[in-house]
Amino acid sequence: MSLMDYFKAEALLRRYGIRSVRSAYAESAHDAVRFANGKRIVLKAISRSALHKSKSGLVMADLDGEREIRLAYDALAKRAARYRPFRILAQRMAGEGGIEIIVGGKTDSQFGKLVLLGLGGVYVEAFRDFSVRVCPVGRAEAESMVMELRSRAVVAPNRRAVVMIANLIVRVSRLYSDNKISELDLNPVILHNGTYDAVDLRVIT
Amino acid sequence: MRQRYMNLERLVNPRSIAVIGASQNPEKVGHVILKNNIDSGFDGRIYPVNINASGAIMGLKAYRSVLDIKRPVDLAIIAVPAAAVPGVMRECGRAGVKGAIVVSGGFAEVGETGLQDELTAIALRYSMPVIGPNCLGITDPRTRLDTLFLPSFKIDKPSVGGVSFASQSGAVGSSVLDMINSESFGLSRFISYGNAAVVDEVDILNFLCKDRETRVVVFYIEGVKRGREFIEVAKRATIRKPVIILKGGMSEAGSEAAHSHTASLAGSTQAYEAVFRQFGFTEAKDLKDLFNFSKIFETQPLARGDRIAIITNGGGTGVLATDALYENGLELAKLSENTKRVLRKAMPPIVNVRLPLDMAGDADDKRFAAALDAIGNDKNVDAIMAIALFQTPGADSRVAATLIHYGTSMSKPMVVVSMGGSYTKTHKSMIESGGVPVYESPGDAAESLAALIRYSRYRYAKTHKV
Repeated sequence: MSLMDYFKAEALLRRYGIRSVRSAYAESAHDAVRFANGKRIVLKAISRSALHKSKSGLVMADLDGEREIRLAYDALAKRAARYRPFRILAQRMAGEGGIEIIVGGKTDSQFGKLVLLGLGGVYVEAFRDFSVRVCPVGRAEAESMVMELRSRAVVAPNRRAVVMIANLIVRVSRLYSDNKISELDLNPVILHNGTYDAVDLRVIT
Repeated sequence: MRQRYMNLERLVNPRSIAVIGASQNPEKVGHVILKNNIDSGFDGRIYPVNINASGAIMGLKAYRSVLDIKRPVDLAIIAVPAAAVPGVMRECGRAGVKGAIVVSGGFAEVGETGLQDELTAIALRYSMPVIGPNCLGITDPRTRLDTLFLPSFKIDKPSVGGVSFASQSGAVGSSVLDMINSESFGLSRFISYGNAAVVDEVDILNFLCKDRETRVVVFYIEGVKRGREFIEVAKRATIRKPVIILKGGMSEAGSEAAHSHTASLAGSTQAYEAVFRQFGFTEAKDLKDLFNFSKIFETQPLARGDRIAIITNGGGTGVLATDALYENGLELAKLSENTKRVLRKAMPPIVNVRLPLDMAGDADDKRFAAALDAIGNDKNVDAIMAIALFQTPGADSRVAATLIHYGTSMSKPMVVVSMGGSYTKTHKSMIESGGVPVYESPGDAAESLAALIRYSRYRYAKTHKV
C-alpha cells in the first residue's frame, strides 16, 4: 500500500469536480504564516504511519496570527517526530461549525469497489452511521445512501443538501472506479453554507 | 475454462436418472435415494447402478456401470464413497450423461481439496453441470425427482407451489423443507448444492430467475464464490421475481487490514448488505423472516405504496398493529370520504368509521366483507392488514372464507393476523391454503408488508425509467 501525495490527490479530485479546501505544504513556520496571509488556518502533520491524525495529536486548528502559528508549527513538528517521515500541511479554515461527513471507497475481496457515505470527522467510529454501495453508483442510488443515514435530518436537512451530497457521491464513485486506487477517504468533508469542502484526503494506491 | 452460466435445464428436469451406488441394503444412502424416487413416482426412467450389481435392485434392472445402460441418461445421482467419485464421473462423462448430483461427502468440507479439484476438472472437461459434492441435491414435487437421502416418512411432503428454495447447507435446507408444509406455502424446486464445486449460486440464481415454475426465489447462502457475476445475475433476477436471501455468518468480524476509515467501517458483512439492498434482494435476518416473507411474496400482488388499512374485530390489536406499521416505516392509510360513507351505512352505529377500523367483537363475515369491499376499492389504501380474532362470537369459517375471497381477488396485497389456540390454527391453515398469508402477530405482518413494499418500490423504479 502506498499513500498518494496530498497534492496529487487534490489534483485528482479536482479533475472529477470535487471541491477541497485551499492547502499548501509549509516547510517552515514562516511558510505557514505567509500562507495564512492574515486568515485563520489549520496545521496538520501528514505521515503514512498515522491514520488518525486528530487522535494522534497531529492537527492544530483555528490558528490566528503570526505568533500563534509559529508556536503551533514548532509544537506540531516536535509531536510528529515519532511518525517520521512527515510533512506539515497548512489549510485555510473551512466552514466552521458545519456538519462533517465521510465519503470513501474500499475494495471488497468478493464484490470489488464499494463507496461509503457516513457521519464523519470524530464521529465516524463513535456512531458508525454509514451506508455502502457497490460501484458504480448513480444519482438515485446515491440519494438512497443519504436517506439511509440515521443522522440524515442533520446531515441533509433539505432537498438541496440531499442532491449536493448525492452528486458528490456520484463523483467519488466515478473517480474511484476509473483509477487504480485501493482505498479512499475524504474525511471529513465539511458541509457549510449550502456547499462543501473536503478538508482531508487519503488516497491509497 | 468454465462457462459463465451452467445450463441446468436437463439436470433439474431430467427424463431419465441413474442412481449410482443404488443398493438393496436399506442402510445405504443409494438405497434411500432409489426408493424415494420409486415411491414418489418419478415420471421418467430410473436406472440403478452398482459396481457389484447382478440382476435387479428393487425390481429394476441394475447395471454395473453407467456405460452399460446404452440409453440416454439426463441425470446421474452419485452416492458412492468419495474416493470412487472421480472414476464414476469420468464414466458419466463418457456415457454422455447431461448432469450429475454428487451426494457423497468427503471433499473440501473435510480438507480434501485435491479430490474436489479433480471432480471440478472432470465436470469441466465433459461440460457436465454437477451439483455438490456434499449435498442433498434436488427434490421437486412437480417432476417428483427426489435425490434427498432423507427417509421420506421423516419429512413432511410439501405441496406444489411457486417458491423455489436453494441452500448451500443441507441441514438448513432439510429443516426448511420439513417446515414448508406447516407454513402452508407451496414448493417449486428445492436445490441443496453443498460445496458448489461446479454449479454455484450464480448458476442456480440464473436458472431460477428464468424458470417458469418459480415465482419466488429463496436462498440460504454462507458466501458467494463469484461476486461480480452474482451481481450481474441478481440484477436480471430481481426485476423478474422476488429473491429472498438469508446469509449465514453475518456477525463475522472483518479480517482484512484497513488503511482507511472507510475500510475499517465497510467489512464483508456490510458489502453483502450493500449488494442485497442495491440489487433488489429481500434480506431475511432469520428463518422466521424467510417463511414470513415467502408466503406474502408467493400469493400477494406488488403494492403501489405504503399506506396500510387495518381492520379488526378487536380494538386493542388494532392499536398494536398501528404501532407495528410505524415501527416498520409504513403508514396508516386515511379513508376517502366515499369509503367512509359506504362504511357508515354498512356498519352498526357503535363502529367508529376510521382506521384502524374496529368492527367490534360481534363482527361476522358480512361485516368483514362490507369493510374489505369498500376499502379494497379505496384509492387511498395500498395494502390491507385484516385482524381476525377467532375467539370472538362472530368469527367462524365464514369469516375465513370471506378473507380468502378478498385476499385472492383484490389488486392490492392483503395479509391476515390471527393469534390463538387450536380453533384459530384450523382457520389459519384454511386461510393460508386458500392463498392468503396469515401471521401470528401484527409485528410479523407489518414486517412482511414492509418487505413486499420495499421490493415493489425497487421493481417499479427499475422498470419505469424516471
